[in-house]
Amino acid sequence: MSAFEELQKHYLERDLAAQQWKKSGGKVAGYLCNNVPEEFLLAAGLFPLRLSGDPQGDTEKIGNYSEQGNVFSREGFVASILHMILQGKYDYLDYLIIPHARDSVHRLYTTLSYRQETEPDLKLPELYYLDNLHTKFYSAGIYNCERWLELKKQLEKWTGQKITDEKLSQAIAVTNENKSLLTKVADLRVADRPRISGFDALQIIGSSMFMHKKEHNKLLREYLSGEGDFPERDGIRLFVEGSPLDNLQLYEIIESCGATVVAEDNCWGNRSFDGPIDETGDPVEAVIDRYNNKAPCARMYPIGERIEYCLQNARAAKVQGAIFHVNRFDEMQAWEVPDEMKVLKENGIPSLYLKDQPYRIDDTEALRARISEFVKGISR
Amino acid sequence: MSDQSSDKQMQTPNAVRAYQREWIERTRQRVKQGEPFAICNGDDFEEILNVMDIPVIVINYWHALITTKKMDRYYQNILTERDYPATIFSMGLATTMDNKPEMAPWGGLPKPSIIIGGARQDTEMRILELWAREFGSVFWPIEYAIWHGIEKVPPPNWFERIRDHWDELVDPHKLDYRVQEQEKLIRYLEVSTGRKCSLPKLRQAIELVNEQMDYWRMARDLIAKTSPSPVSLRDQLSMYQVMWHRGTPHGRDFLKAYYEEVKDRVEKGITACPDEKIRLMWVNALGTPPLWGKWAEETYGAVCVTHNYMGIAVDSYARTILNDDPMRTLAAKYMMLFWTTPEWIAAQAKHSNCRAVVTVAGRQTKAAYEKAGIPMVSIPSERDDEATRAAISKFIESNLL
Ligand code: SF4
Repeated sequence: MSAFEELQKHYLERDLAAQQWKKSGGKVAGYLCNNVPEEFLLAAGLFPLRLSGDPQGDTEKIGNYSEQGNVFSREGFVASILHMILQGKYDYLDYLIIPHARDSVHRLYTTLSYRQETEPDLKLPELYYLDNLHTKFYSAGIYNCERWLELKKQLEKWTGQKITDEKLSQAIAVTNENKSLLTKVADLRVADRPRISGFDALQIIGSSMFMHKKEHNKLLREYLSGEGDFPERDGIRLFVEGSPLDNLQLYEIIESCGATVVAEDNCWGNRSFDGPIDETGDPVEAVIDRYNNKAPCARMYPIGERIEYCLQNARAAKVQGAIFHVNRFDEMQAWEVPDEMKVLKENGIPSLYLKDQPYRIDDTEALRARISEFVKGISR
Repeated sequence: MSDQSSDKQMQTPNAVRAYQREWIERTRQRVKQGEPFAICNGDDFEEILNVMDIPVIVINYWHALITTKKMDRYYQNILTERDYPATIFSMGLATTMDNKPEMAPWGGLPKPSIIIGGARQDTEMRILELWAREFGSVFWPIEYAIWHGIEKVPPPNWFERIRDHWDELVDPHKLDYRVQEQEKLIRYLEVSTGRKCSLPKLRQAIELVNEQMDYWRMARDLIAKTSPSPVSLRDQLSMYQVMWHRGTPHGRDFLKAYYEEVKDRVEKGITACPDEKIRLMWVNALGTPPLWGKWAEETYGAVCVTHNYMGIAVDSYARTILNDDPMRTLAAKYMMLFWTTPEWIAAQAKHSNCRAVVTVAGRQTKAAYEKAGIPMVSIPSERDDEATRAAISKFIESNLL
């Protein structure tokens, strides 16, 4: 099996590495989003696993998860994660860290803790709520810092081991290497003749969140050593902006239309590995600083930073067009789209807006036809 | 409806409606004359603005004015044309984007000095940021707002604890932060408007809120134990407008007058719906009476005698000032006002001797209500149409007759 096939395998069998880790006696800590400092988890000797949904599960049939009053998780991917947890698909997790990110993620926590209290027989991992603010003000940074330090303490309590500076520095070295390898992947995508498809890139990036980073680095190094043989791609260069993409359906359709997704603004894509951690100073402070200052997602204030991020990345990737893909109920994402499309247009980048999209794409052909028309419009 | 005594109109709700019209006009004039003017969401900061004598439009109230003018469709189209989601909460933004003051209530809102935006929902802060941008006004984000102040689901009897033991329900770190945020915003307002805030004034505002809610409770309790009900649901709900004046002497006085009027009606045997045979509770999000109310009353003598908004007023707004710290008390209220659970609704329905709750909801909620001890009639929509009537008829005929 080639290194790429190995990575692909981990992308498809997302529990594989975690289950192996468990078998060898380790503990697995699940988390959502990308504002949970993985470096702390690694330094604590835990296996960090980012939770994802499964559009092929029966999520859409279940519809909205509606629990107590205001507690509900509407976006397809969160409803799917909730469904999977309640079905026991994540029963190998020892701990689950849920950050204060988008509302439905926050509500996933309240829903699970309510269930835990009212249904004692339900087997759930130990839950931890990681509070986190939606602005980047100075005072918000201080507040977040205290919360991250509390998490660090909790991890030490769980594992009975101290997270020493030395262990943390080692963990930082591992995640920094991962970031720099993934940046190479990103560079190969934006090359004048792209050498990696968006479809492959999403799997490479995604697998980094389902594997131990050390293992991922090894495979990624091996994969990138064959760079010289990567075939060149042609076709229209596209940027994808929008809702979290924890699966391959969209890229598969886009790239079947004679286009290549050369970059994206997505927490399952390039945005997940921005900003390396400073290795020169105090490691705890460095980790916190990175998480306070990393590229924001749509939940964050102010909108200007989001627009700038979208524009800079689309321009740097020299794209010929952009696709905005927003899932049904993902209003958070939808509110920034008009501004982003506007600045891209001012910069000569046309957009296609796919709004209210289902989490599981059933009518593949209709979507392909729309994207195909957009791509043809650009190549004319 | 034949009983003479039922025709007697209630005075206080009418006085409230008249006062509200006058208040709108007065506020508009004040702002025209250059007074500072703020926009914030309900239950986010308005007591403090009131204390500082800064005129404020509460967003949900502004949205209610738009809906009353039946302009919601119009403004939702404005948003859709610009590729924005057409939500109720964004209609205010739409009035400004539209920039046709002649179309909007009040002839459009004047430019605010500040728009304050909380993180109550994913999109609230963003929508208000955009609204401020549209006006060219200052936008002030506040991190913690209702629903985000708590980490765990509150205990089922939260409504019995929240007045005196709110500190058990709200997360202390977040509360510290919220207090800091309030202090920063007050400082900004003091600097930019020259108006002042003070501890005694805040304390007094909270005490007035508590008194207001006490009168509300006493009136609600009288209505709960008097059958047929002495006050129509429409009149009960129109008292809710006084919420926008809570923490003021006139806010308290309106509820005092309301309570006294209800008491007087009970003593004199004046009823709102003399043919009342079946008591129901109506639950909806907008705080409006059911459109099918008259039909249900005439057909079955089924009357909605209470509404979830009455519970909100009575159970969730009052707070005992703890540790002589009104700022923190207020902050806690902005972070956890109430938590809608079937247990709470069931407690309200039972308190008012209702035999069922009527609402638009799914199967899961129905089961939860039943578990909490009250049957729930699930109707397909809020409309007064055949399907809604059929659902209500089916329930009443097979369970209550
Ligand atoms: S966009 Fe942000 S809040 Fe939403 S899933 Fe990604 S990291 Fe979480």
